[in-house]
Amino acid sequence: MSRAEVAILYAPGTNCHEETAAAIERAGGTSELVLLRDLLDGRAKLGDYRAAAIPGGFAYGDHLGAGRIFGTMLAACLRDQLMEFLDARKPLLGVCNGFQVLADAGILSARSPGKRSMALLENQSGHFEDRKIRLVVSDDKSMWTEGLGGQVLEMPVGHGEGRPLFCETAPGSTGSPVLRYCDAQGRATNQYPENPNGAPNGVAGITDETGMILGLMPHPERASLPAHYSQDGLKLFMNLVRWLRGS
Amino acid sequence: MAIQGVYTLFKDDPEARNLLAFFRRHGHSQLNNLTIERVFWLEGDADLSKLMTLLVNPLYQVHSMDSQLDEGSGPIVEIAYRPAVTDPETPSILAGARALGEDGLEFARLSKRYQFAGLEAEEAQRIAARFLYNKVVERVREPGETFTTLRPTGHPDPVTTISLRSLNDDELAHLSRERSWYAPLSQMKVIQAHEGSIGRPHTDAEIEIIAQTWSDHCYHTTWKGLGLLKQLAGATERIRHPLVVSVFKDNAGGMEFYEGWVVTIKGETHNFPSSIAPFGGVATKHGGVIRDTLGFGKGGYPIGGTTIMGTLDPRLPDSEVPAGALHPQLIVTESIRATAYYTNPMGIPMMHPIYRCHPGYAKCLALGHSIGLIPRQYALKDEPQPGDVALLIGGETGRDGIHGATASSTGMTGETLEKESAAVQIGHPITERRFTTAIPVLRDLGCIRTITDLGAGGISCAAGEMGAETGVTLDLDAVPLKDKSLTAWEILLSESQERMLIAVPPEKLSVAQGILDRFEVVGTVIGRFTAHRRLEASWRGQKVVDMEMSFLWDSCPIDPITAAEPKRKLKPVEIPAPRSASEWLDAIRSVLRHYSCADQSPAGTRFDTTVQGRTALGPYGGRNHRMPTNISVSAPLHGKPYGVMTTVALNPFYGEVDPALMARLMIIEAITKAVVAGADYREMVLCDNFYTPRVQPDVAWDLKAMVAEIADFSEKLGVPFISGKDSSSGTFESAGRRIDVPPTLAVATLGRVPDVKKIVTKEFKRAGNKLVLLGFHDATALGGSVYADCYGQRGERLFSKYDAASIRRVWDTLIALRKQEQYASGSAIAEGGIFLRVFEAAFGSGLGARIDLSSIAPARKDGFLFGEFTGSVFLEVAPDWKIEGDLPVTPVGEITEDAHLMLETDGKTLWRDTISNLTEIWSQTFREVLE
Repeated sequence: MSRAEVAILYAPGTNCHEETAAAIERAGGTSELVLLRDLLDGRAKLGDYRAAAIPGGFAYGDHLGAGRIFGTMLAACLRDQLMEFLDARKPLLGVCNGFQVLADAGILSARSPGKRSMALLENQSGHFEDRKIRLVVSDDKSMWTEGLGGQVLEMPVGHGEGRPLFCETAPGSTGSPVLRYCDAQGRATNQYPENPNGAPNGVAGITDETGMILGLMPHPERASLPAHYSQDGLKLFMNLVRWLRGS
Repeated sequence: MAIQGVYTLFKDDPEARNLLAFFRRHGHSQLNNLTIERVFWLEGDADLSKLMTLLVNPLYQVHSMDSQLDEGSGPIVEIAYRPAVTDPETPSILAGARALGEDGLEFARLSKRYQFAGLEAEEAQRIAARFLYNKVVERVREPGETFTTLRPTGHPDPVTTISLRSLNDDELAHLSRERSWYAPLSQMKVIQAHEGSIGRPHTDAEIEIIAQTWSDHCYHTTWKGLGLLKQLAGATERIRHPLVVSVFKDNAGGMEFYEGWVVTIKGETHNFPSSIAPFGGVATKHGGVIRDTLGFGKGGYPIGGTTIMGTLDPRLPDSEVPAGALHPQLIVTESIRATAYYTNPMGIPMMHPIYRCHPGYAKCLALGHSIGLIPRQYALKDEPQPGDVALLIGGETGRDGIHGATASSTGMTGETLEKESAAVQIGHPITERRFTTAIPVLRDLGCIRTITDLGAGGISCAAGEMGAETGVTLDLDAVPLKDKSLTAWEILLSESQERMLIAVPPEKLSVAQGILDRFEVVGTVIGRFTAHRRLEASWRGQKVVDMEMSFLWDSCPIDPITAAEPKRKLKPVEIPAPRSASEWLDAIRSVLRHYSCADQSPAGTRFDTTVQGRTALGPYGGRNHRMPTNISVSAPLHGKPYGVMTTVALNPFYGEVDPALMARLMIIEAITKAVVAGADYREMVLCDNFYTPRVQPDVAWDLKAMVAEIADFSEKLGVPFISGKDSSSGTFESAGRRIDVPPTLAVATLGRVPDVKKIVTKEFKRAGNKLVLLGFHDATALGGSVYADCYGQRGERLFSKYDAASIRRVWDTLIALRKQEQYASGSAIAEGGIFLRVFEAAFGSGLGARIDLSSIAPARKDGFLFGEFTGSVFLEVAPDWKIEGDLPVTPVGEITEDAHLMLETDGKTLWRDTISNLTEIWSQTFREVLE
């Protein structure tokens, strides 16, 4: 068993792993950077960790679609480890490209690796959006947002494909839209640029039915340290650490 | 399955929609629809149904085994990579197929089929050729064409020898041009003489290497001819700055940071490729300067960057764009797309996105900086040792970028667009990102004796430089190729991007290979360092290069350059002073919407500014995160308060009026921006980037004057230049017209601050606070100002009230005031003068301001408002604030609760308007440019 609690999974093209580690550390947790290649080659095991995070970036250059290659490897080559991890109801976080990976692997929104239930489409503007946005937290039950219901959180976004599309034929597959882009008054919005990508109903982040898996386009790790303009993102990581220490 | 195509369409395709709008804007108004069909070509024995999950997402794509395009709906142009070239996605497809258990898939290619509804076939072909593919590596597939194999095919030309012995001067000069060596006659004659001394004709590879090594781009022949390199380095040496770690010699300059870390800076221009192929040129501008950070010491890590573009006015009508030049709007929009394409996947925060226009930038300015971080113990390179392994990492070598070094060293003509398109490289950020992650690991495990990037001149330049003191022997057959038809000299000279060369101690090679495998980086041993002091290379059993290093590095003739004082035709600024509210509004409106002053965030918000979690203050700030900050503050050590602060100054208008004074003002402006925000100029270093016309006597005069000025001024200030780059080819010739760039110098500062939380930002803090100008002003010195430019004038006199002693007094005063927290907000005066600062600070705060001009002489109240008093600062202070000392303080007005700007004098209102109206004016320019 690894001493670190959280595995930060990264692949060629991932570029937010170090700040994710810094945010977890700031929240009082311990993490380890784990190369996808090391999982594939058997040098590391997902089961050695109590939680996992897939950070942002452009894994494998976004070839064939954002998150496609990483997601395929996760769902196809690491299926057993992944199922074991999900069955154990361990916390799993996907931020930005990590969210795209979770969606492409079928992990969000319907916990069905290998069978996609949602996708993240190109922003309505047709280009990358670097913005500082507000999110309103819903009251839906999730370990990640426990106690934050109704709060407005400020953090950055930076992505080109963040507009969620849910498969209408898979029942219950939309998960719970636990985070929505909102205006200064905390009202969910479809207005650009407060809603930077045209997400229907302002959906910025969702959890699965267990509330243990969170995928979100905004970057909580970039709003977690004293040097940042906001430290609201840290709240998500503190919930993770609280859960790890409490269970 | 032998070779099978899988045709896919997006149910909703923003790329097609955006391209459609783009082509219609660029004159193809008959185009009424554009459809893009993406085709996967697959070779081997694999179960297609199992591969579908990899290739297609049915939630938003549909696919079929035959084209879904109806040929009657419009001409179709299909674009694919050339048969000799591998698609960048191929390895990903093969890896994905293996993950799905389909090992039988042997090879894959992609193509894109564009259908242009409403156009004739010829027009569709023209659009494709201009915008949709790079003919160096891609091609149009003929209708009905079939593949026999997808694997790269092609045969290289044999190595030839070239004898110069019997050529006269004219023939030498002709050959130099024809072969794209662009070597001056003096160099050709030295090569000719060398042939005699070695007793055999050179191989093509040898002459190519010599021409490239001696090009202005690589050897700085212009600067050496004028003795400028030594001058600047001498000043820096004499300053003996205690924080300076590495100066000029390495790929970047380095300054001591905190806790055993060093921060680095490098700026590089990529003007030539960006002018002829802006997307590829600008993408690789970033790729290249980032590799300078990776190639600093034993491998630095990039933590920030800039993009700075100078073009003709993007709003020019087509008829005013010089023949043979691309439309500046295309250059700007393509450059923005390219910066996003490259720097976002690299995961490097954008610190300063800056756009300027000037009628001299027919050959555009494309500058980028890279800021890096490295542990002190790895900041200095070791020399390679005989027996060390030359390890090439990163991408494969292709046909792209051949003759980049030589072609970029010459001027640009109307024909360059055609002739040198092969000189533009193609960038794949994922490849660079892979080794960006791996290099610090290699470094920390002792695998790197020294490292450098492959840029201009490719393998020959990197290996030649690295092995200059020892010697190196290369095995060109080992070099991984993405184009199977490359011959020896092309392998040596190719400027294919995303490659680095490392000298690895032999006992560390297996450790290095293991690391590279884990990070999925291709690493290949391509040679060894020797003790022969020769550059040697073999290919297909033939020795194709065998040259003394001393000849290559010590024999380049430096042609003397004559300098003669230029005759400038300058006229004083004559702008009638505004006399009514509406005339004031006209003046204000023209400044706010001026290209240099307007809201550039429609471009800047396409670049990631917060990735890496280090950003304390990015390019946009204030309450609405849209106010230009003009500084960037990074906290590179996660969890620590220490900051790296950077600023940039450049001003082509000043350069036109008085190049030497412009150079001084750029130093003052860049440093003042940082000092007012909270940096100390004694803990700061500088980076210079020159862009000047192709050298002639008057250009040489200006260049000498600028360098003399910055060397002298930086020495007097004690703030050293530690890195820089010169480009002396800013000339565009077309249809008998010569267009020279204005003498341009971009000065960037790199400073350290102990606590990022103590930065003073620009937006207003509190209604009722007083606004003052600290320092000198001169309302009649409007030369080079934005205000003058708004009236089509350049003027004859720049603001010049500061020498080294007096500007230091301003900075020392600011540092003292800040320690006592005596000002709540502040900004350095630059383009747009006091007025732009007032507007931006109000915009960023939600407050307003009352500007009182009563204390200003009646004749030039506008000059006070819009004058660019570089070095003076605009401060927000408490209502009862007073200052001791002899620095002038001029009251400007006060901050108001309501979001208005109001202009008053002697108790009467000259003009007023709401911040939201002004914001609308200010926001329009870039929205229009990017439309």
